[in-house]
Amino acid sequence: MTSFINTFSIPIRRNAIFGKYRQVSSICLWFIFLWLLFPSEIFASRYTIYFYNPETNINNFVLLKNEFDRYLSEHGQFTFQPFSDKETFEKFAAKRKSGIFLISSWHYQDLSKKIQIEPVLIGILKGKPIQRKILFAKGDITNVDSLMGKSIASSGSEDYTKNILLQMLGKGKEDIINSLNVLTVPKDIDALMAFGFGMSDAALTTEHTQEKLSKINPKLCNMLNELASTETYLQIVAAPKQSDENIQQLLSLIAKMTSSLDGRKNLKMISLDGWKKVSKAERKYLEK
Amino acid sequence: MNSCYRKTLQGLNKYICFSKCICNFGICRILILVLFSISIAGSLKAKEDKTVIVLNSDSSIDKYSVVHTEFKSRINNPVLEIDLGSKWLDEEEIKEKMIQIDPDIIYCIGSKAYQMAYKMRRDNKLVFSLMINWKRFPAGKNVYGVSNELPQIMQLSMYRYFFPDINKIGVLYSKAYNIEWFKNAVKSAKEVGIEVIGRSIRKPDDIKSALNKLLQEVDAVWLIPDPVVIRDIESVKVIFETSDKARKPVLAYDKAFIGFGATLITSADIPTMGKQAARIVQEILTEQEISERVQDPAGSFNILNMKKVEDYDLQFNNEALDSVNEIVKLSYIKKYPNY
Repeated sequence: MTSFINTFSIPIRRNAIFGKYRQVSSICLWFIFLWLLFPSEIFASRYTIYFYNPETNINNFVLLKNEFDRYLSEHGQFTFQPFSDKETFEKFAAKRKSGIFLISSWHYQDLSKKIQIEPVLIGILKGKPIQRKILFAKGDITNVDSLMGKSIASSGSEDYTKNILLQMLGKGKEDIINSLNVLTVPKDIDALMAFGFGMSDAALTTEHTQEKLSKINPKLCNMLNELASTETYLQIVAAPKQSDENIQQLLSLIAKMTSSLDGRKNLKMISLDGWKKVSKAERKYLEK
Repeated sequence: MNSCYRKTLQGLNKYICFSKCICNFGICRILILVLFSISIAGSLKAKEDKTVIVLNSDSSIDKYSVVHTEFKSRINNPVLEIDLGSKWLDEEEIKEKMIQIDPDIIYCIGSKAYQMAYKMRRDNKLVFSLMINWKRFPAGKNVYGVSNELPQIMQLSMYRYFFPDINKIGVLYSKAYNIEWFKNAVKSAKEVGIEVIGRSIRKPDDIKSALNKLLQEVDAVWLIPDPVVIRDIESVKVIFETSDKARKPVLAYDKAFIGFGATLITSADIPTMGKQAARIVQEILTEQEISERVQDPAGSFNILNMKKVEDYDLQFNNEALDSVNEIVKLSYIKKYPNY
């Protein structure tokens, strides 16, 4: 019996060693498998700014990501993640607790009903947290009713454009708003130029863009016929209601963007020139 | 026996009544009318299901693929999508398919697709996009589309917006191809406070001397797709090298010129062109009035070469940063010299 055990003792030990190797290698394989399957979950330790803005049809994501990542990485393990699609953004963002959101005020009102977030900072441009959205129309369109079935150029998504128009014109004009053919263009200035050069019957842009155009092409600017307008808040920085130290650090990093040249340049890319803390009145408005 | 006889009589009576009804001209007329209306309704229904064919010059080319995807996301009823870049298709096969389907509209992506569609089905409604200089091609009253080139005034407005200090822009052109274009550019430029100064050339050998003279008068060079000016890679190199020596920026119209050292590329935004083409198709399908058969592109795509901006000490308007789609830096050009 002993000799039998002795005869087999070496192979048994070898088997044990191989078994350990097998165990280690299977754990490694599992890890690789999980890494391939859920890369973001495994490396989710990086705190991220999740960006989505339906107000502008931003298509310079690579540029935004590169420039924001460069700025953020100088201050810690932070990244910037822009999204082009609302559904993907909400699906992704709703699961994440290790990040903050840079979104439009319009979207905040919707998103805050779905996930536990609160507004912390509000963007400012020329010292104001508010922008005036203007509906311009051709000279022969003298009232809103004449807009029925016409085309409108806008840098916002179709949803956003129609929502702003609803806010601007009221529910009574819903039929007219729904009949509009929205031509989504990449930039606010494109919307105004597309309209100005006859590619659409109307345009939805901001007062700020109108001012820009007046410097470039005053003749074209004088031809613009303002039909209606409304005011909206600029972009919002929102954070999870239960935040941690990293989130606080990321928030202060954003708030300090104006104190560096790169930070100011990055803000310009998203059409802002600073931040302010959300006041009680603003919070009340945003959370209604 | 009696009851059986009565049943037979009733059956016979019903048959006679039915035959009488059939033979009655009034009812016959009604029947014919009903059948006729059903057939008309059927044909109308068939006409309502309007068909669109997408003819792509080569879907492996990125911009053709982008515009195709954007178009498809808006138009649900393309019945056939043909990729002319595919090796497995021949012209006869395509022709047969076109005859079988008899589409209401053919959406042509690129010049090759348009030329084929025009050759085969010029009586159908054709909508085109991504055709370089569409005016070179034959076009009838059934042709609609989105031009490939941004309107001059839009390009000039962008130049004024990005570089407020650039007041004089030089253009090399050939009278054979671009005399009208040049005259219009001079007129449009005045609207944005820019003076366009031109030098016409007859052959590529004239580029260097004409450009040297031009560079003495202008703040920047505006490169246009003129076949005499951009004859080959050598003539492109001469333009960029000569301008660089004079420390004057070159404003170009295609991404391909970044590798040569263009300072700003202003071109039409491709996805927007797909949206515009889809809108034209929708308008045709729903029989709406189309104000302009060939539209200008509504969106712009701007690439800025920061290295050149710094090298030439150009005054760049920081407010315009939100209108830049890509910023190219030195490291990128070194890595991809032919980008």
